[in-house]
Amino acid sequence: MTQQILNAIFIGSIYALFAVGYTLVFGVLDVLNLAHSAVFMLGAVITYSLVALHGFPFILAALVAVIACGFLGLLVEYVALRPLRRRGAPPISALISTIGLALIFVAIVEQATPGTLFSWLWQDGANSVRFPSGAVPNPTYHVAGLTLEGTKIGILVTSVVLMLVLGYVIKYTQVGRALRAVAENRRAATLLGINVDRIFSSTLFVSSALGGLAGLLFGLALSDISPYIGRDQVELKGLAVIVLGGMGSIPGAVLGGYLLGLIEVLAFVRFGSNVEAGVAFAALFLVLVIRPQGLFGARLRERL
Amino acid sequence: MGTKLRGLAVAWVLVLAACGSGTSGGTGSSGSYQGKTINLGAILSLTGAGGVYGPSSKKGADLAVEIINNSGGVSGAKLALDTEDDASDKAQSAQVAQRLIQQGQLLALLGPTLSNSAVAVHPLAESFKIPIVAVSTTGIHIVPDCNFPKTDPCKYVFRDSLGEEAAIPANIKVYSQKTHPKTGVLLVANDDKFSSDGGKIVQATVGQYGIQLLDTVQFSKTTADFATPVTQAVKKNPDVIFITSLGGIPAKIMIEARKQGFAGQFLGGNGFNTAVVSKQAGADGKGAQSGSGWYINNTFPSNAAFVKAYKDKYGSDPDQFAAQGYTGVLILADAAKRANLTFSNLAGDRTKLRDALESVNIDTPLGRFQFTSSHDVKQTIWIIQMDGAGGFNLVISVSPS
Repeated sequence: MTQQILNAIFIGSIYALFAVGYTLVFGVLDVLNLAHSAVFMLGAVITYSLVALHGFPFILAALVAVIACGFLGLLVEYVALRPLRRRGAPPISALISTIGLALIFVAIVEQATPGTLFSWLWQDGANSVRFPSGAVPNPTYHVAGLTLEGTKIGILVTSVVLMLVLGYVIKYTQVGRALRAVAENRRAATLLGINVDRIFSSTLFVSSALGGLAGLLFGLALSDISPYIGRDQVELKGLAVIVLGGMGSIPGAVLGGYLLGLIEVLAFVRFGSNVEAGVAFAALFLVLVIRPQGLFGARLRERL
Repeated sequence: MGTKLRGLAVAWVLVLAACGSGTSGGTGSSGSYQGKTINLGAILSLTGAGGVYGPSSKKGADLAVEIINNSGGVSGAKLALDTEDDASDKAQSAQVAQRLIQQGQLLALLGPTLSNSAVAVHPLAESFKIPIVAVSTTGIHIVPDCNFPKTDPCKYVFRDSLGEEAAIPANIKVYSQKTHPKTGVLLVANDDKFSSDGGKIVQATVGQYGIQLLDTVQFSKTTADFATPVTQAVKKNPDVIFITSLGGIPAKIMIEARKQGFAGQFLGGNGFNTAVVSKQAGADGKGAQSGSGWYINNTFPSNAAFVKAYKDKYGSDPDQFAAQGYTGVLILADAAKRANLTFSNLAGDRTKLRDALESVNIDTPLGRFQFTSSHDVKQTIWIIQMDGAGGFNLVISVSPS
């Protein structure tokens, strides 16, 4: 059982990291960025390609991938969000434009095989791969009947530290205050001299960098990197997590991530896989009935 | 040259010609189809979960088409193969099949990749009376009863892929007789036909060999983290973990189980039998054992030529799925050659082709190929183990019973 709780904490960290980026964009821009899951996938894919195809050491590859994902976030902002905002389109349009972008990202990877346009990025088409053995040291400890993996502990630490840093930045720094001001009231923030477009861009950058990081950690810990890891395995769950935690709330996303991980694992152990997803979503439903604003959701329109 | 020798030489030439028609599907002397085109369609999973198998089938089939066309076609007719991706999705598979069938030019179909999709596609082909050869589906009730639970045989559905009902028991038997395992745990995906069929076969088989199934851990094929189901299995401390699942899942389970300290044996089914899975599992999959419909170094006439042609064209070794895809086209080409096609009455031609398929008897990389009366294969089963580096080693071959 202890092992299963450890399993829950590890997967919960990844859900949380993914959901933090998701919820950040929602909190500030008031739109759901559904390309987030594709950026998550690209975080893993870019790191893998740098390590396996271009011979980068893992840490450097991961760093490059995270930054590249940040820039992909800017691409999302400039291509899928800003033009719509300029035309005063309702937030629902952004849903569609980001889904479109996500489909394109997934298709680029899924169609990439040796000899094609994107073979420098990916050569395995629809297949699932893992990091070459030895590329990432993964000391595994067996303590008191428990399996502790270096990579998973690293993930836990990375996630917690990053989430704390993000929380600090938002709460106590000038940028964070500007961010919250924009989230609170766009027009008022503009009048106060805050460059709203720049805040939006940096939000997308940070959010996508976190999403990419979550993706590469997912690929590392679960030995699974494929064009579908974002779409099949975290997209809906990430959505569930941010609803559970309270839309736009970062502590909510973190807590929601761990909670979903825990609920899923316990449901699996207790009832089996047939009801695993059912139990998780039933819990979600209950939360929404009792607390429609989610665990940490602000009652009013105060976010982040 | 004496008469006897000359006779031998003539016989040899005839054998070569026969082999030629086996591997190339027809350098036949009759050019009666000259100038015609035989249109075939394939419904394969090139993306999605089945994306680890479909591309191999496609490569094999494309290779066969190329070889046949380069050596004169099917009695002079060119083969054309239109391959469509069903994204490993049952509904999409049926849609693609419907489109291919109704575009009204195809003589026959190959596919689909997954058993889960076959239960939607095969009844469709049966009702439109278009012959379809399954080249990778191994579940239960694929042939002859494609309309299961209705049991009347489907006349237009054939398969050249070795069913799990033959492969899994053969594999368990071989392993048990050598190692005598006492306990096992089954890990099975419960939301996929191929996987759950495999699970049922394992459950029905282990008792015969004195293996006690300590637990059956079911999971969803969309599971992200296999740590949880694997922990459930490993804590029972079994001698064997049986895995019946597809796509990248068997590899992920092996990796996770090794991390959690499992030192026993992995036994599985057709889901193991592709290079992609063996490569992904890597060292953690070394020794994982399954029954396969094909083995790269088998000595059947025409296998070596197939392996060489495949390597020349694609630069990598073929796997079982490639061999079965290749064979599927050879079978259709051979039947087409003997079917006296009219090229004017499509419905009639489809029926003629169907009839001719029942009497196929050619050399293929899978061995001498004939369909059984239930349109299934009866062939050698190759018990193979992953070699830890993306390939497979042969344990033993089991002759058809």
